[in-house]
Amino acid sequence: MQFWTLIVDSFRESLDRKIFWVLAGISVLVALAMLSVGIEEHGMSFMFGMWEVETGRYSPLSGLGRANVAGLLVYILMSFFLGWIGVILMVIATADVFPRVMEHGAVDVLISKPLSRPMLFMYKYAASMVFVLIQATLFVGLTFLVCGLRWGVWLPGYLLSIPLLVLLFSYVYCVTVLVGVKTGSTIASILISLGAWMLFTVPVTAVQTFETYPTLMKQERVYHAARVLSWIPPKTSDIQIFAAKWAGAGSAFDLFPKGAIKGADANQMGRAREMDEREMQKSPLMSIGSSVLFEAVVVLLAMVSFCRRDY
Amino acid sequence: MVDITEMTNWGVDLIDVRKTYGRSIHALRGVNIQVGRGEIFGLLGPNGAGKSTLVKIMMTVVRPTHALGTILGRPIGHHGKLARTGYLPENHRFPGYLTGNQVLHHFAALAHVPGAVRKKNAGRLLDRLGMTKWADTRVSKYSKGMLQRLGIAQALMNAPELVVLDEPTDGLDPMGRRDVRELLVELKESGTTVFLNSHLLSELEMVCDRVSILIDGLVARQGRLADLTDQTVEYRISYTGNAAAVRGKLVALGATVDEGEAILAGCEADKVNHAIDLIRAAGLMIDSVIPKRVSLEDILAEALADRSGSADAAPVARPVSP
Ligand SMILES: Nc1ncnc2c1ncn2[C@@H]1O[C@H](COP(=O)(O)OP(=O)(O)OP(=O)(O)O)[C@@H](O)[C@H]1O
Ligand SMILES: [Mg+2]
Repeated sequence: MQFWTLIVDSFRESLDRKIFWVLAGISVLVALAMLSVGIEEHGMSFMFGMWEVETGRYSPLSGLGRANVAGLLVYILMSFFLGWIGVILMVIATADVFPRVMEHGAVDVLISKPLSRPMLFMYKYAASMVFVLIQATLFVGLTFLVCGLRWGVWLPGYLLSIPLLVLLFSYVYCVTVLVGVKTGSTIASILISLGAWMLFTVPVTAVQTFETYPTLMKQERVYHAARVLSWIPPKTSDIQIFAAKWAGAGSAFDLFPKGAIKGADANQMGRAREMDEREMQKSPLMSIGSSVLFEAVVVLLAMVSFCRRDY
Repeated sequence: MVDITEMTNWGVDLIDVRKTYGRSIHALRGVNIQVGRGEIFGLLGPNGAGKSTLVKIMMTVVRPTHALGTILGRPIGHHGKLARTGYLPENHRFPGYLTGNQVLHHFAALAHVPGAVRKKNAGRLLDRLGMTKWADTRVSKYSKGMLQRLGIAQALMNAPELVVLDEPTDGLDPMGRRDVRELLVELKESGTTVFLNSHLLSELEMVCDRVSILIDGLVARQGRLADLTDQTVEYRISYTGNAAAVRGKLVALGATVDEGEAILAGCEADKVNHAIDLIRAAGLMIDSVIPKRVSLEDILAEALADRSGSADAAPVARPVSP
């Protein structure tokens, strides 16, 4: 009964938040925008057919085919839209959960109920996950349906983006909760956790830079340190790779290998492509497992702090 | 009044409760408090005495530095007993997105009150506290007094064996205060133990069976209200006429003699009668004889004066175990 009571309460709290509706609105808008795009044999149409573009048979689009266009779109949505903006918005939306629970006067009645503090903490943490699960399902579900119904491309693997998104969110959210519990400040918890997210990617980026530019390899110690360090924080950037791979949008990498952005020559381009291929081979078990371990430690710290406090 | 010695068990039995916030704020310094079942117990003391800290420890909101004893016969924090306890914190806040009715249901469900019982109790309590009209209004639109009434209703939703109320009349209008006092007496009649914090002394005097005076984290006085206030009584005898003739004799009796009034400290009836005889014999006209009970305020003032005199209060004897 307590579990459902708290879940129902979190649900009511969510519906009361403006940002819940903003996020839902964004999902609907993106789905509508995709709906307005048609993929035909020799080109594409935009704005529900008001503007048609003949791409012809030499266009890269026609070469990729319908499924690849859809896959590419999904990839862009996942890595750019959901992976960044979506998660940032969801962290902002849920950052105040613990500061709100811990407010003087509000926490007293709650804690005086026959409900252990670790349970209360876990329920609240889970409630935020449910909030994100709802939003992720809405976004991925709608775009999935548009792909299938409008373009005739069904990408069942894309639905795996839902749990992956919740996972990516949780990598960042554990820090939000820790800071929220320690300081009671929503703003601080948002800023610090987003900052931490950037920090998480530093060792991985360093390793990649080393591998792209072999001249740097002389600094072997730094390289090895970066490699070891890169195993500690949550592997946030892996999530996008898994999502793209599982959605069947892996070929999108051929278009935009990471090295290409850095103005590389053909040689470097080849290495970058090699690296991307290696990234696609990454073991989800190791990546997700080590990330969840990090997350568990941070959540445990937050929980201990939550349970030890005087309210 | 309930005779606590007939009880099989204390409602609240706190032994040597200590709390130090951080390193240096000694909010409680060894508090012993016993409350009989079915009693209305009042905890009073000046601001910052540690009253709220003590009830928060009882309700597991604050973790004590040291605490022994039981609540409803079980150790502090026992889940089964917490489910049988109601609590009104000071300055409580409820989630603004809930209506009054939803607040009652939400918190009662967390205390394992079944749905049907919740429904019945919510209706009854909202009605009893004059909140039926507001039951379906969001709490964010409530006034302070309405919020307080809802808080009291919330504390009673599980038909508790023990209710702990921190400043229950805070923010209430005079009618509301009277309502709450009546409610407390009803609770007591139904066998509920009531533990309340207040600095509104006159209110405590009207309803409490026993009180403790908490000063600087220590119990300075504890006892039945009747005993505390009976201990010292003074009689004011007012009369018309010139008392010069009997003044000396009255002073010899121990009275303070003013213009038209003699004040006798203590409560010995024979002395009072003797004084009346003396005044009558002198041919004076007696207008009134008023026994004045010492108020809680006097006791608190006295306790405060004692505390500022000596560094540590004398330990308060523990009542005989029931
Ligand atoms: N969370 C806290 N952290 C640090 N000190 C605290 C905390 N809560 C209370 N105190 C301190 O403990 C002492 C007792 O406070 P408490 O709130 O128990 O007093 P009170 O008797 O309820 O006062 P009032 O009548 O004003 O409500 C005060 O000195 C207060 O500053
Ligand atoms: Mg207080």
